[in-house]
Amino acid sequence: MNLPLSAIVMLIFGAVVLYGGLAYFVYRAFRTKK
Amino acid sequence: MAAIGSAVGLGNVWRFPYICYENGGGAFLIPFFVAIFTAGIPLLILEFSVGHWARGAPPKAFAKIGKKWEWAGWLTVLMPFIVATYYVVIMAWCFSYMIYSFDLRWGAQAESFFANFLGDTGSPLILGGISLPVLLGLIVVWFSIFFILYKGVKRIGKIVALTVPIPTILLIILTIRGLTLPGAMEGISYYLAPNFSKLLDANVWLAAYAQVFFSFSLAQGIMITYASFLKKKSDLTNNAFIIALADAGTSFLAGFAVFSVVGYLAVSQGIGIDTLGSQIAGPNLTFITYPTAISLLPFAAAFFGMIFFIALLTFGIDSAFSMIEPMSASVNSKWKISKAKATAIMCTLGFFISLIFATGGGLYLLGIIDHFIANFGLVTIGLLECLIFGWMFKIYRLREHANETSDILLGRWWDILIKFIIPGILTTLLVVSIVNNVINNPYPGYPGWLIVLMGIAPLLIITVLSFVLMKIKGNREEQQT
Repeated sequence: MNLPLSAIVMLIFGAVVLYGGLAYFVYRAFRTKK
Repeated sequence: MAAIGSAVGLGNVWRFPYICYENGGGAFLIPFFVAIFTAGIPLLILEFSVGHWARGAPPKAFAKIGKKWEWAGWLTVLMPFIVATYYVVIMAWCFSYMIYSFDLRWGAQAESFFANFLGDTGSPLILGGISLPVLLGLIVVWFSIFFILYKGVKRIGKIVALTVPIPTILLIILTIRGLTLPGAMEGISYYLAPNFSKLLDANVWLAAYAQVFFSFSLAQGIMITYASFLKKKSDLTNNAFIIALADAGTSFLAGFAVFSVVGYLAVSQGIGIDTLGSQIAGPNLTFITYPTAISLLPFAAAFFGMIFFIALLTFGIDSAFSMIEPMSASVNSKWKISKAKATAIMCTLGFFISLIFATGGGLYLLGIIDHFIANFGLVTIGLLECLIFGWMFKIYRLREHANETSDILLGRWWDILIKFIIPGILTTLLVVSIVNNVINNPYPGYPGWLIVLMGIAPLLIITVLSFVLMKIKGNREEQQT
């Protein structure tokens, strides 16, 4: 069984917000060293 | 790092995936993200600002607003202490199951094995004896907590440098293994296929706010205590974003580890995933459903069983010691009691209280007390925090304090969230919980006195104890000035 397209869209949406956001704020922390 | 460790716990693995599946699958991510950004992160910033500004544990922080509010600080640290007394019992189960994983001792009968392991009497009214494996697990876990905490912050830093990345790596391994199993995609489809019509249901939005509130270790004095240890120039706002996204990201990942294996189990046994119902959440998932699926793995089943329980133990240990630390730090800060002594007192007391949950009726008693603390205790404290810091204090001073050290500047919108929006959401959660409990008695077979004894009495006792602890004079110099 393949994953429905709607589930793939939600997977990408969740991953971008959570892991993209996390990477961005960790990068900010390293950049400002705070 | 310690705050991430505290926020990420057993709930990320056994609560979020099921809540997501129950409330619209992938569509649940929308209210979940809204809840993170409108309540979770603003509340984290509030707790960080309070701890960083007051430079002390919650009783000291609340007393800095006004001496008469010190009791609320004590209530904030007593609540996680009570939670720790039964949370540690679940960790003791995980410890035993980690050992049982060597030979998959639960075999094909995971349900009856779990009942025998607990010495389950089938009723909260019959305590039976204390289960020996659970008792041994309890000793190990409580001693570990003492060992981590008694030397203070430096040792916590060293421990979390291991216990935060290790379970995350193990969870990734479990996810990869899960996704390669037959039936995994059926499981993931149940987890993520969105049902957008659910977004019109107010209960789904309340579930999102409740999930964020419980998962971020809010209203337990933990973030206030940890923030008091932060360097003066720490970026409070950025830290809140990192903790929130790391916690939510772990929950999201755990969903893949859980549902891929659940899908495999369903395909292997020829049953529908929807027939599993609540077997996909809580202790049922951890000690019955997941072990059953593990024992069906074609190879290295024991290895993956061990990885699963080590991941749970390492996820849980940070949360467990973070529940004891605020109480221990508060006692140490008010009275001339060394950190080691305060930690020893808390761990010994906690151990003896947790024995009741290690009995044959412990599973049921644990369910009652957890239900009342999660639905009423923590939400009430969250509400108190917003009301005291938002209305009894000049909230803009906390905002200015956060802005002094943070790159992302908070505007007046944050004051509005803390003063109006979040208290409104928490009040709604509280009212809905009360109405639901009155209309649908969650424990129809249990006598009223038992619900009062295990559900309502602990909340009343710690409230009274909060006032008593406030009234007892401190003997530290800073308390006398």
